[in-house]
Amino acid sequence: MEQVLKAGDIDNDRYDRSKRLGWFDIEKVKKAKVLVVGAGALGNETCKDLVLSGFRNITLVDMDRIVMSNLNRCIFFSEEDARKKRYKAEVMAEKLKIIDSSVRIKAIVDKIENLPDGFIPSHDIVLGCLDNISARLHVNAHAYYGRVPYIDGATHGLIGKVQVVIPPETSCIECGMNVTHNKIRNMRYSCTGNDISFFEPKIPADINTTSIISAVQVQEALKVVHGRWSNVIKNIFYYDGNRNFSEVMELEINPACPNHGEIII
Amino acid sequence: MKISVKDAETGSRISMDVESDNTIEEVVESAANYWNKDPGAYVVRFGKKVLSGQTTIKETMLQEGDVVELIPDPEGGKR
Repeated sequence: MEQVLKAGDIDNDRYDRSKRLGWFDIEKVKKAKVLVVGAGALGNETCKDLVLSGFRNITLVDMDRIVMSNLNRCIFFSEEDARKKRYKAEVMAEKLKIIDSSVRIKAIVDKIENLPDGFIPSHDIVLGCLDNISARLHVNAHAYYGRVPYIDGATHGLIGKVQVVIPPETSCIECGMNVTHNKIRNMRYSCTGNDISFFEPKIPADINTTSIISAVQVQEALKVVHGRWSNVIKNIFYYDGNRNFSEVMELEINPACPNHGEIII
Repeated sequence: MKISVKDAETGSRISMDVESDNTIEEVVESAANYWNKDPGAYVVRFGKKVLSGQTTIKETMLQEGDVVELIPDPEGGKR
């Protein structure tokens, strides 16, 4: 039977322009189980881009409530949400469905460190939208051990970076810790066994830099779910909006990093 | 041996005497203190490589006269 085309059908396909990338497979994207840790500035932008890109199975973990000072960079939060002190993860789960009602968002109001050991490895990919080294190290270690790709974003004013961790081949977050990170890690796991509280100052945050970093995170997530390993960032995308440049930098595996030793059973 | 450390934010440079067993962490701390910066907020890069803090000068293969750059290490994104 002769095929009959319908004029204008091209623009009825939500993913027509994505498919024109050539390698884009909407079924792979829809099936992927994505974990987003953090529902703040990066989390808002990252989830927006994930849903727009076709991801349908998203788990979002965040323990915080919305405050007014979030509103300069969190697209899904409103003044009413702040007045009602609503939980970030719950509001995002509602608002993301406005973009696409078929998306399945599981919102977990808790610290990522409180969740069971098998939680992180039960996902296909993890996107880190955090603001402290402790949570990053936790997610990094569990993702690395579970051999789950981890795409970590971070910003500070007009500076941002994305580190792509593909276990077991690449370096991880712990390989590149700085002076303060090492001190915090050593204090937190000191032999007193007591949990230590740290003062964590407010960090300058700009939506424009946030959007750039989140966009790169989701773009890398798309490459990962499609198995485009030769195109994945190795290892850090660094952006400096003050000096107007971006660059991809290497981070070698640190032989002293505990995540890269042999697993002895 | 002497290397140069460049402040990515201002373009300033200083010379630094390093021994083979000095670590990159020590380079960061010295440079950051000189420029009144928080050492915990910076890392060092050499060309396109970020140098891990625990690495020694010997392990980095840095040579006399090489220039490393002190760059901000962002950490935010949630609060």
